[in-house]
Parts: sequence; structure tokens; C-alpha cells
Amino acid sequence: MIAPPPTLHEILATLLAHEFADEEVGFTGLLTGAAAAAFGTAIPLVSMELARRTHAPNLTILLAGCYHNPDLRELEALPDSEHSAMLRDLPSESQMIDYPGQWVLKRGDIDFGFSSAVQVDQEGNINSVCIGPHERPKVRLVGPILQPEHMALFGREYVMMPYHEKRNFVEKVDYVSGVGYPGGLAGRHALALDRGGPALIVTPKCIFDFNRDVGRMIVKSIHPGVSVEALRTATDFELGDLSGVPDTPLPTAGELRLIREEIDPRHILLPNRQI
Amino acid sequence: MLGLKSKRMSLRDAVGLVPNGARLAIGGFAVYQKPMAFVRELVRQGRRDLTIVGSANSCDVDMLAGGGCLTRVETSYVGLEKHGLARNFRRAAESGVLQVIDYPEMVSWDRFRASQEGLAFWPIPFLGGNDVLKYNAEIRPFACPISGRPMHAVPAANPEIVVIHAIAADEQGNVVFPARRLLPQSGDVLFARSCERVIVTVEKIVSKAFIRRHARLVEVPSYRTTSIVEVPYGAHPTPALGRYLSDDNHLEEYVGASATTEMFNRYLERYVRAPADHFAYLNLIGAERLADLQDLDSLL
Repeated sequence: MIAPPPTLHEILATLLAHEFADEEVGFTGLLTGAAAAAFGTAIPLVSMELARRTHAPNLTILLAGCYHNPDLRELEALPDSEHSAMLRDLPSESQMIDYPGQWVLKRGDIDFGFSSAVQVDQEGNINSVCIGPHERPKVRLVGPILQPEHMALFGREYVMMPYHEKRNFVEKVDYVSGVGYPGGLAGRHALALDRGGPALIVTPKCIFDFNRDVGRMIVKSIHPGVSVEALRTATDFELGDLSGVPDTPLPTAGELRLIREEIDPRHILLPNRQI
Repeated sequence: MLGLKSKRMSLRDAVGLVPNGARLAIGGFAVYQKPMAFVRELVRQGRRDLTIVGSANSCDVDMLAGGGCLTRVETSYVGLEKHGLARNFRRAAESGVLQVIDYPEMVSWDRFRASQEGLAFWPIPFLGGNDVLKYNAEIRPFACPISGRPMHAVPAANPEIVVIHAIAADEQGNVVFPARRLLPQSGDVLFARSCERVIVTVEKIVSKAFIRRHARLVEVPSYRTTSIVEVPYGAHPTPALGRYLSDDNHLEEYVGASATTEMFNRYLERYVRAPADHFAYLNLIGAERLADLQDLDSLL
């Protein structure tokens, strides 16, 4: 029997898994709503678990920031509450119950994290605070939460954007709650940000990387089935010449088998197998 | 020997300790273990012009915003997690009647650490380029006097009154926390050590013998507490770890009722203003629902 082709979620999880090195510490929060939960929580968990089962057995997963290397096989559903009885009772190797706690945030214990936002701009700044002026916003959102820490204290950040439309990918965010590369790496240095910053921006249409010298987003790869035209239409800033941009690579048969048979055999993390 | 002093108070009298215009820290974290009975009583008594300082907030701030009790909020998050945006908070912020001072999440905790240490500020080295600075003149730049590294002095949380919800305390105000706790309960301990007026609502007032059996878990001793209020299910509809789970059905009803100001006023009338007291509120929720929410923690 021929296995079904890889889904977008499986493609993204595999691509991210290749980014992680052995012995790193990766942090993912809990996002809610089907699309946000898939991008912000499920894909990161599958990617880290895939890395652990291939080239990075000593990678530490921080689920909801607090639960170290949770036993994902024990999950009955994708967790949607960070400090609930369900996660208290999920077996793990260490449970962080206080701040400061196990990870020493300001000495660089966390190598990479995942975050999401309502807006991201071409410098890689992210926003979850407000749309419109701060004093009288058109839409007041939840607040900066942990974005400032993710984008400054973690070694690098994967920004997981569940939607890729013009209103999400803007020239300039309305509020900088996580700092990208204003003025490039030199600009970050001038702001006393000597570590971290966005590594990749992951969307349903493409993968963005950065030209870190000038501090501008560049398209690294385009997902199968997405046209250059569709990508330009969905992005509010100029993408430049896309003629040489490759397709996003697909998982190998072995990687797909690991995801489907060992990491998520009950379809709890990635429920939508068909695209 | 003189008798021991009791710090037991009625919910009404304890809420009476919070004047209009107070700077109040509300314990719990995000949608977990919020002192909601206390919040409902603040709304019922028509408190005005409050400033809420917190770490992460949810229906506590949202209900106070909907009840017209707030002028200012200083925190990292106001939302209802899986239940969506906090719609009363959103309306109040968008109309300009509520001033929101945004802080990063762990910096919000650091502000309480500053208060606990008796300091006016906490030094933060990673705020460069963040708009948290742009809208907050109270955060001041400075150079580390040892290394010269550029930093920011973030003002201490400095609450005038703290209110938290815990599972048990004795009448003298020794407050016990479960060994199998999570981040929200530790946040409550930090809050209770950041201020000299600490109101603790508890699921149950217990005997001194119970406290003595759990001495290692008494993180907030009697001399740190101002008053103790017995309010079973006092965090409802948020959970109290080890006692009951989140009432997700009620939170969905809450979110639905938050769609417009008029609808939310009807919610407040039904669940907050009309009930004679907290037990009348619990009767509205119903015994069947409350029984269903029980959290059976490990028996070990």
C-alpha cells in the first residue's frame, strides 16, 4: 500500500526537526483555536519529538514552558490549558512550579522557542498587543505575554503564523512586542540585544528566513501547491525576486513513518492527516 | 494567656477593606485560581477607579472592566486562553476609558520580586527596541554601575492590597498550599510576600492541628495575612488546583454574555448583583455542576 502524501503539518514538523541540535532545550507554549494550536503547539511538539527520535536524542522539550520531556503517548487530547490538573498529572521528567525555576532564563538556558502573533513585519518584529494606536486601539489584543523574552533571551525563535494574509504580514507592526532585526544584527547589538531573534517565520504558504545584515525577511522556500502570485497577494510588503526560490522540502518515507506510527499513532497531535 | 486573634472576616467586610482608587493585585495566573468571589463582591459593592497590577489576568480584570470598576491595568496578558479574547476588557481599552500598561510576562513577576525585596525597581537587560518602553515613562534607562551594561529600571509592582484564593488557612491566617502545586499557586505566594495588606479567600478554614500537620506547606504564615475569608468554590468559574477544575461551560456562557455591554449587564445582574451572597451564586450554578467539577488529585 502506498502511504498518503505528507500533509502540510507533517512537512513543517519535519523541516523544523532538522533545525535542532542534540542537547538543545526547546520551549513551546499552548495556543488555542484549531489553526493556532496546530502551528503553535502541535507542530512544535512533533518536530521536537522527531528530532529526539532521529539525530537529537538529548533534546529537552518544554511543554507549556514548564513540563520537561512529557510522555506524549499518555496524552488523551492536545493540551489546551497550561496550568491545569491535566498537565499536573502528565508524566514528565521535571515540572517547573515556580519562577525563577528550573530554567535559568537570563543566563541562556533556552536554545529556541516557538511563538505566534497577530502581525509580523519585514524586519521580523511581532505584535500581540493591539491593532491601531495603543491609547485608542482598533482592536485590543491580549498583551505582550512572553514575546519580549522569547525574542531576546532565547537563543533563537521560530515564529509560527497560522494565517498568512495581508493583515498578518505587514510593512510595520502596530506594536513591537517581540523585536526582530531593526537595522540587522548591528541594530540588535545597538539595542543591547546580543542574543536571539527570529530564526524562521513559518506560515501555511512559505518559510521565511532573514538577511540578517540588513534586517529583512527573505523567502527561503515555498510550500508545494502555493504559487508565487498567491504568496505576493497575501503579503503586504515587497518580496523581491522569487525566481530562484525552491519548494519546501518533503519528509522522507522514514520520517513520515516515525510521525505516523510512533510519535502520533492516535492522531492526537496532528488530527488532520489529509490536506 | 490571652486568646489567639481571629482574622476571619465576611466576604462583604473583607471587600470593604479595598477603597475606591486602590492599587490592587489579584492573585492566580491567567485563567487559573482567580479569587472570583472577591471580584464579584467588588462589582456588587460598586467599587470605582481601581488599578489592577498583575502577572497574567483573565475574567478577573474582564469582569471588573465590565462592571465599570477600573481605570488602569498593569499586566502582561488579559485574555481567556481557549475561550478567546476578554471582550469587556477589549471594549474598555478600545474606548479609551481603561488605560493598559503592558509588561512582559516574567518582568511582571520580577516587579513583584522587587516588592518582595523591598526595592523600588528591578533591573531588566533585554527591553531594547520593545514598544513596552515607548508607552511607559515609568520604566527608566540606566547603566549598570558595575559593568556599564545598558539596562532598564522597571518599577516594583507595589500593590496597596493583595488578594489571593487558596485552599485552606486557619483563623489566625496561616495559609497552606498543596505540595503538588503549579506556577499559579507559586505566584500567589510571591504576591502575598509583596505587600503588608494581604486578603486570602480560602476554600475552607481549618484547625490549628491541620496546619501543624502541614507546617512545611504553610508558605504564608499568619503575620503576613490581614484577613481570611471562607468562600467554598471561591475561584469559580476558574479552577482551584487540587479541589476543582475549570467550569468551561460557565466560561463559555460568560464569553457569550460578553458580546455586548447590554448582554454583560444582564449577566452581572443574574450572577453578581441579584444573588444575596456567594451561596446564592453557587445555588445558581447548581450542585450537579459543582460536583462534576471536583478534581481528584493523587491520593499519595
